[in-house]
Amino acid sequence: MEKVLKPVKIIIVAGRVKRITRKYPEEPPLLTSEFRGLIRIDPAKCTGCGACVRACPPNALDIVDMGDKIVIKYFIGRCIYCWRCVDICPVKAIKGTREFELATDNIDDLYHSVIHSKTRCVTCNRGFATIRLTRWVIENSPISEEYVHKCPSCRRSDFVKTLSRRKGGV
Amino acid sequence: MRYIDNYVKLFERYGGKTIAEKDLVQAIIPVENLVEVSSRIFNEMGAMYRTCIGMDERPLNGLFSIIHVFTDNRAGLYISVKTYLDPDKPIAPSISKEIPAAEWCELETRDLLGIEFEGVREGRLVLPDWWPRDIYPLRKDVEYSFRPTPQVHYAKFVKPVETGIVPLGPYHPALHEPEYFELYVEGEKIVDVRYRGFHVHRGIEKLAESRMSYQQVCFLAERICGICGFEHSTCYALAVEKAGKLEVPERAQFIRGVVLEIERIHSHLLWLGVIFHLLGYDTGFMHTWRIREKVMYLAELLTGSRKTYGINIIGGVRKDVSEEKKQKVIENLAELDKEFAQVIDIALSVPQVKKRLSGTGVLSKKDALKLCVEGPVARASGLNVDARRDLPYASYKYVYFKIPVYTEGDCLARALVRIDEIRESINIIQQLLDTMPKGPISLDTYEIPEGRVGIQVVEAPRGGNVHYVVTGRGRPYRWRIRAPTYSNIPALRVMLKDQPLADAPLIIASIDPCFSCTDRILVLSKKP
Repeated sequence: MEKVLKPVKIIIVAGRVKRITRKYPEEPPLLTSEFRGLIRIDPAKCTGCGACVRACPPNALDIVDMGDKIVIKYFIGRCIYCWRCVDICPVKAIKGTREFELATDNIDDLYHSVIHSKTRCVTCNRGFATIRLTRWVIENSPISEEYVHKCPSCRRSDFVKTLSRRKGGV
Repeated sequence: MRYIDNYVKLFERYGGKTIAEKDLVQAIIPVENLVEVSSRIFNEMGAMYRTCIGMDERPLNGLFSIIHVFTDNRAGLYISVKTYLDPDKPIAPSISKEIPAAEWCELETRDLLGIEFEGVREGRLVLPDWWPRDIYPLRKDVEYSFRPTPQVHYAKFVKPVETGIVPLGPYHPALHEPEYFELYVEGEKIVDVRYRGFHVHRGIEKLAESRMSYQQVCFLAERICGICGFEHSTCYALAVEKAGKLEVPERAQFIRGVVLEIERIHSHLLWLGVIFHLLGYDTGFMHTWRIREKVMYLAELLTGSRKTYGINIIGGVRKDVSEEKKQKVIENLAELDKEFAQVIDIALSVPQVKKRLSGTGVLSKKDALKLCVEGPVARASGLNVDARRDLPYASYKYVYFKIPVYTEGDCLARALVRIDEIRESINIIQQLLDTMPKGPISLDTYEIPEGRVGIQVVEAPRGGNVHYVVTGRGRPYRWRIRAPTYSNIPALRVMLKDQPLADAPLIIASIDPCFSCTDRILVLSKKP
């Protein structure tokens, strides 16, 4: 008899645990302190170096060259919330948050961008890196001040010129 | 050592060159001896066939190659047998007559690399029917961004006489992923099955080989499967670390071990819920999933995400386990153990559960051995295989655990294997947390040289994942993934034979199929 009635015991279990689903959104969702959600880029700190773009596995972060501006573009639709960018950012401009309610009816809400102005090369007057990045480089390595304002190709040609002069060439 | 010598002798006898290093024996064999050598490794040495890999090495040495990977479970060895093929007309002999488990991956290699196999069946396996005939996507001269124009070439459909056809899928309420089974029935009895899958093949191997970096691929590998993703990323990371000979900190390996077992508990609870649901015992489904919620919570606590944890990187892990978290995990697991025992005891006493599970979908030991099935399916058919013990990786050599083996080979045995494994996993996590060493959790700097090979098998909840990595410049040169369902689906044909039609969804679900693992889904197309 006991064997036949055993399946019914589940009622006792159900009575003990009661309701376990939460009345979300009235009640707070079940989140731990470790949850990884949306990232926020602090435009005041970002230097536009592009380290996060190189680390991002799904290409949610993108660096776009728009003439005299450099734009760091974050598309939430591709983000996998791995926070590699948070780990990698050299100036700690990216902060991870616990936000996850991201549904929207406007696709523009899914794009966040940080716009940087380009610095100009002192010799050829071409834009190459962001102004903030050059400033950051100077702060961290003062000896670079001489050539940081030159674009990579001018730097290269200058270097070759110096070398050839030292060798007693032209 | 004795085992390695045996293999070296065998390869020497057939004119092969052998490099033995730690647990990997690599041999290069002349193409005419491939079948003989493979069949000797499989039948005489008793090694298990894992997968084959086709490789386009034309940019390196101007040749194609094909590699068969075996594992010797008694000796804990990986055996790779490689053959070079002619670049203009790559033809290799098929070993699928001797080793039936090799059929699928040979078909896949033909589809993706255009290597012909003598004696393997016609028809496509992976590529859709509209894909152009002479374009092989995994060849290095095909660009990643290449999009062909569809060509209509429908496969010839042969209608069998005197049997009815019942299509199951691609969209079916009992199966939650796109796959297509064609069941040939006589009355209520299934007489044969045809499977057409790979509807969601997106070529992530190509993606990793052409535009991602080593670190990024860890996150890509995690997305192969929604349920056993961490096994895939661990497997990839371990394979690369093996190839680059990196000494990963012990603590990182222990954390990996803990999370791997958390994932196993979660996957098995999910499967039990699904199987109860398919049996019509929805109460059991609700209660196992209620218990599963605790595991999901623990996963988030340990890694930061409920699924696709994203803590694996090459050289270690990204998140440490503090004392406080440890305590919480142990508390929660003790509670889970108690509740699980109670619920599963009640669920197994329900008459329809036992009745429908026992005796359905029997896979005999002989067939299981022949088809090289993996994981709980193999262990339910009396094969005592488990990569955690046979080829120890991560931190499994530091823990003691039992491997449940049943000999009945039916659905009930497969369920019981999984129930026992949940208990063992709880035990393993407790041992790992108790003995976790102190130290760093990841390597700061490392270097991965080009042209090295790393093979790794990781025991996922469904069986062994195999990842084969050849290192290249900044990214893998070749990355081959073999999910466990890949070798379990061919066994369904044996299981479904002579079974009533009503049991078909149950039997298909009993191998815990994961079609997106098998197909390697990932939608990552950037519109041109």
